Amino acid sequence: MTAANSPRARGALAVALLVVVVALVPAFVHSDYVLNLCGVAGIYAIAVMGLGILLGFTGQMSLAQAAFFGIGAYTSGWFTVNLGWPVWPAMGLAVVLSALVGLAVVYPCLRLSGHYLALATIGFGIITQLVLINWKSVTNGSDGMTGIPAPQIGSFAFDTYGRYYYVVLVALLVCAYIAWRIKTTRVGRALEAIRENEIAARATGIDATRYKIIAFVLAGAYAGLAGSLLAHDTKFLSPDSYSFDQSVVFLVMLVVGGSSSIGGAILGAVLLTFLPEVLRPLKTSYIMVYGAAVVVMVIFMPRGLAGLLTVLRARFVRGAPPGSGVAIPVAPGVEPA
Amino acid sequence: MPQFDLVANTQLLVSGLAIGSIYALVALGFVLIYNAVGVVNFAQGEFVMFPSYVAATFLLPAVTVFGAVVHWQLPLVAVYLLVIVVMVGFGLLFNRIAYYPLRDRGWLPVVISTIGVSIFLRNAAQLVWGSQPLVIPGLFPVDTVTVGPLHIRPQDLAIIGVTSLLIAFQYVLFERTTLGKQMRATAQDRATARLIGVRVGRIVAITFVYSALLGTISGLLVAPLFTVTKEMGALIALKAFAASIVGGFGSIPGAIVGGLAIGVVETFGGFYISSAYTDAIAFVILIAVLLVKPSGLFGERVAEKA
Repeated sequence: MTAANSPRARGALAVALLVVVVALVPAFVHSDYVLNLCGVAGIYAIAVMGLGILLGFTGQMSLAQAAFFGIGAYTSGWFTVNLGWPVWPAMGLAVVLSALVGLAVVYPCLRLSGHYLALATIGFGIITQLVLINWKSVTNGSDGMTGIPAPQIGSFAFDTYGRYYYVVLVALLVCAYIAWRIKTTRVGRALEAIRENEIAARATGIDATRYKIIAFVLAGAYAGLAGSLLAHDTKFLSPDSYSFDQSVVFLVMLVVGGSSSIGGAILGAVLLTFLPEVLRPLKTSYIMVYGAAVVVMVIFMPRGLAGLLTVLRARFVRGAPPGSGVAIPVAPGVEPA
Repeated sequence: MPQFDLVANTQLLVSGLAIGSIYALVALGFVLIYNAVGVVNFAQGEFVMFPSYVAATFLLPAVTVFGAVVHWQLPLVAVYLLVIVVMVGFGLLFNRIAYYPLRDRGWLPVVISTIGVSIFLRNAAQLVWGSQPLVIPGLFPVDTVTVGPLHIRPQDLAIIGVTSLLIAFQYVLFERTTLGKQMRATAQDRATARLIGVRVGRIVAITFVYSALLGTISGLLVAPLFTVTKEMGALIALKAFAASIVGGFGSIPGAIVGGLAIGVVETFGGFYISSAYTDAIAFVILIAVLLVKPSGLFGERVAEKA
């Protein structure tokens, strides 16, 4: 057998094909509305992937992802609008600052897990949003921030939805690659060991504290990048977008997608970005149907979309091992007695 | 240094204890469900919001339901009974849909499904009752009464009184009745409770109903002070959640003390420090407690238990 037939090579080929198809979307889709949604879905996918590293890989709950998202967005907005920074360094700074805030938040949280951790992060998220609303001299309060520029290379500005799509796509691919590298190397195995049983992980010599810090910082950095990308996409910031509800949306996207699968995080983000739009003909009741759909999906897709796809693949594709890459519990943490 | 104003401070204390009582009742709902099934119910706020809307529909002379104006006004007692009956059914249905199918799947899927139910209910409320806030009457015809130099809202006193009665009732229920003992046994160890003949599934359903009724009572008490909106339960529930951690998660006295403490500190803080950050105070207290003593004021178990 040649190397080209190995599962790994076939997987790489499938991913490459998928990337080419996704990259061609703006060539066939000319609706700004749809292209914008695609961009937003990609941005959400980055934030959700960050949460996936924290919750899916490491088993640490966070409901503050929207706060890091907001910190990234406002950093980008403030430095480009008020100090006239070019977009790319502002984006870099947004990532660094959100990662640093992640580092500051993780220390008090190291002793906590499960619901306690969820609660502490909710507290942090709500305080962050109140600061965004009330620190008017910097954030302009509820009026929000306007006039955020689009990124450009030389004189080429990514100022249409079709062009910005590629900025998001490149960022998404880089983030997915980093997440995949983490997952398939020593760090990922350490994170997984902590998720399964922190005490046992410590007993085998894993520095659980250090790896939990890494996971938190990465989650913050991913969300910060996503926030920055959204700021230069919508060109407008309002504190309403960084609420507890947005953190919940990220969590739901992750769990519906499949919590420790990178593809699942992306699928969940895309599906749940488009679902409300598809449901829009239902007018006022569409969010209600969305809520019900979430319950139905959690009940009937125990491993999320990623798990569902693997099951379908095992059933319909000859030679695909049953459950390959599936063995991912949706629920880290303690089972009820 | 401003003069210490006894009158103003007494009034603040009464308001703080009243809103704290509401947090305490909702926190009790959280803790009882958590103890019974090991999951935090993120739809607890909707256990407050939904009955308030149902009550408003029958308390007000004219209410818009599905875009049509209806005149279903009933006497207060009849409305309260009706709401209680509705909420018993609601608790049973909630258990059946959001918890029961997921009972063997760990806590995260249940959390997500309670979030889904919460999104559903909030937007169902908007669909049924519209986005106009509803104002419902309290137990008393007047807003404030004057006792000597004090201006007190009688509704505040009613809240504190009813909460005290409920806590006493709950103490008797848990300590003196077979049902209460079965609920405690289930909370302590479900497998063992089942072994000694407790019908755990039924006790869990009863716990959801009881928790829904606690939410109902807090909704009926607090709605006259604020307005009935689809968002009314959300912030109350988050603060009650914070209160239950401050008190020590899983601890019933902790939920009560934590709720009262957050209500009082928040009311004073909002008056003396900053009204813009009133809603942050509960969470600042929460983070401080988590830093200093993660098991909370009355917590026995370590924070790693989750």
